[in-house]
Amino acid sequence: MASGSIIEMRGLSKTYGSGSKQTVALSNLDLSVNRGEIFGYLGPNGAGKTTTIRLLLDLIRPSQGGATIFGLDVRADSVEIHRRIGFFPAELSLWEGRTGEQIIHYVASVRGDTRGIVKHAGELAERLDFDTSKKVRDLSSGNKRKLGLIIAMMHSPELLILDEPTGGLDPLVQQTFHGMMDEYRDKGKTVFLSSHVLSEVQAICDRVGILRDGELKAVESVSNITNVEFNWVDVDFRNALPAGLQQTLEDMPTITDVSANGSRVRMRLIGDFDPLLRAISSGYVESLHVEEPTLEEIFLAYYSGDKEKS
Amino acid sequence: MSGIVIGNTLRTTWKQILYWGLGLGALGLYIDFIASSPDIISGYAELLSSMPPAVLQAFGASDVALLTTSEGWIVSVFVSEAAIFLSVFSVLAGLNITANDEQSGVMDVILSLPISRAAYLLERWIGYALIGLAIILVTAAITVGGMIGMNIEAPSDVIFASILNLYPSMLLVMTVTSLLAAVMRRRALAIGLAAAFVIVSYVFNAIGAAAGGVAADLMESLSYFSYVHGEAFVLGTYDPANTIVLLLAVLIGFGLSLKMFVSRDIGI
Repeated sequence: MASGSIIEMRGLSKTYGSGSKQTVALSNLDLSVNRGEIFGYLGPNGAGKTTTIRLLLDLIRPSQGGATIFGLDVRADSVEIHRRIGFFPAELSLWEGRTGEQIIHYVASVRGDTRGIVKHAGELAERLDFDTSKKVRDLSSGNKRKLGLIIAMMHSPELLILDEPTGGLDPLVQQTFHGMMDEYRDKGKTVFLSSHVLSEVQAICDRVGILRDGELKAVESVSNITNVEFNWVDVDFRNALPAGLQQTLEDMPTITDVSANGSRVRMRLIGDFDPLLRAISSGYVESLHVEEPTLEEIFLAYYSGDKEKS
Repeated sequence: MSGIVIGNTLRTTWKQILYWGLGLGALGLYIDFIASSPDIISGYAELLSSMPPAVLQAFGASDVALLTTSEGWIVSVFVSEAAIFLSVFSVLAGLNITANDEQSGVMDVILSLPISRAAYLLERWIGYALIGLAIILVTAAITVGGMIGMNIEAPSDVIFASILNLYPSMLLVMTVTSLLAAVMRRRALAIGLAAAFVIVSYVFNAIGAAAGGVAADLMESLSYFSYVHGEAFVLGTYDPANTIVLLLAVLIGFGLSLKMFVSRDIGI
């Protein structure tokens, strides 16, 4: 992976309205995205993900702070930056009366290298199983998104900015898309991917930033964030739960969320296993299943403010 | 400026030239047909002469005697009616420059491409200005062609020039609409205000020309319709200053819409 940051945001803020009607969409965002990484930008609807992306693309202007891409100012050098990036908007709209082919030609001509770009667009269309001869108005929402991905990627940009790119794509196409992202990483290119599909971020991203209410709550590598100290543990006893076990477990400081169902007990274990193993030794343990937390659970833990507890 | 956006605008909207040109051309042929019958136009002129000046003005004429001639009839009636229809086209064209794409969300894709907002706006404006010019040329060609075909004795160059004289006002309405869309951001509001601009201009012109006094003169001078009188070409009183005033207003309006579009948030 090549080093150096591609995107730099410093104190980036955006507010709408004024006085009592003022809404803070993004507050004092400091974030760097490195060259050659796939950065996942996570957050629920209204967290400020799209606002961040629109600021990076100079579609909207910051209330405070600023950002650079490739070391160039996103406002002053937007044309040069746009030459080197590909963008997929969350709410994709294209010219309804035009065919995919016509749109690809038009966008390629604005980009200035029609022949090379159109050739690559053809290859992408083939990989995504997309028919470029149909008019946009006749395309399903999934196929419109395929066209959006082709437009974003057909000039092989150094940086891809993708806002919720896979919603509406079928699982096979999502798999192809994930493969494309891996290829981008292998070529040393960078992807800034906004998503609320946590499994997707987990599958393809190197690092993840978590945004809530316009504030960046955490930036972690995906490998770190999935390596947190809690696990879900299911214990199956041959007979009924040993008397008083549930209470014993509930009283243990490293165990939370205890639930019993017949001869099975489920809990969230923080830290070492030894205290648990000692506690359950009074019964005959038929099986013990350990499950790592999903990114969603980690994500929710961040949101509920109990990261420290976990 | 690469011209790619201009080319794309022309490619995607050339049918408008056909539809609007043929539509206005059909109106021209109808006016020609009436002009080909001296009895009809003299009867019509007689009817108009009994009406108050404001009503006469609404029919596009300030001089009843002029209406009794073929060329006077064509330039007075046709030019004033075509000016109204072209105003409708101009409002639609003004919205197409940026507002429609912004409303639909296509603008996000466009402005993520390596083209500046200023260059995009300029190219779109030029594209629609060329489409408007083509519509007026088609209209003039059909009207003058019909005149010749119906053996109407009227100077073709004068009729052609009087129709071409509609172009600056068309550019003005288009530019004002584009400016309103740039300022207001909301398409529906821009449509309403642009329509109000056209209607108020029309009313100001009619009242201003019919009534006397300082206030009426001021109202007339504020109306863009007062700068496009076709009669001036027949009477030989055409004043280039009128065209210059309109083009100056176009220039100022375009500069303001450029400033607004470049400096504001897109798509909010």
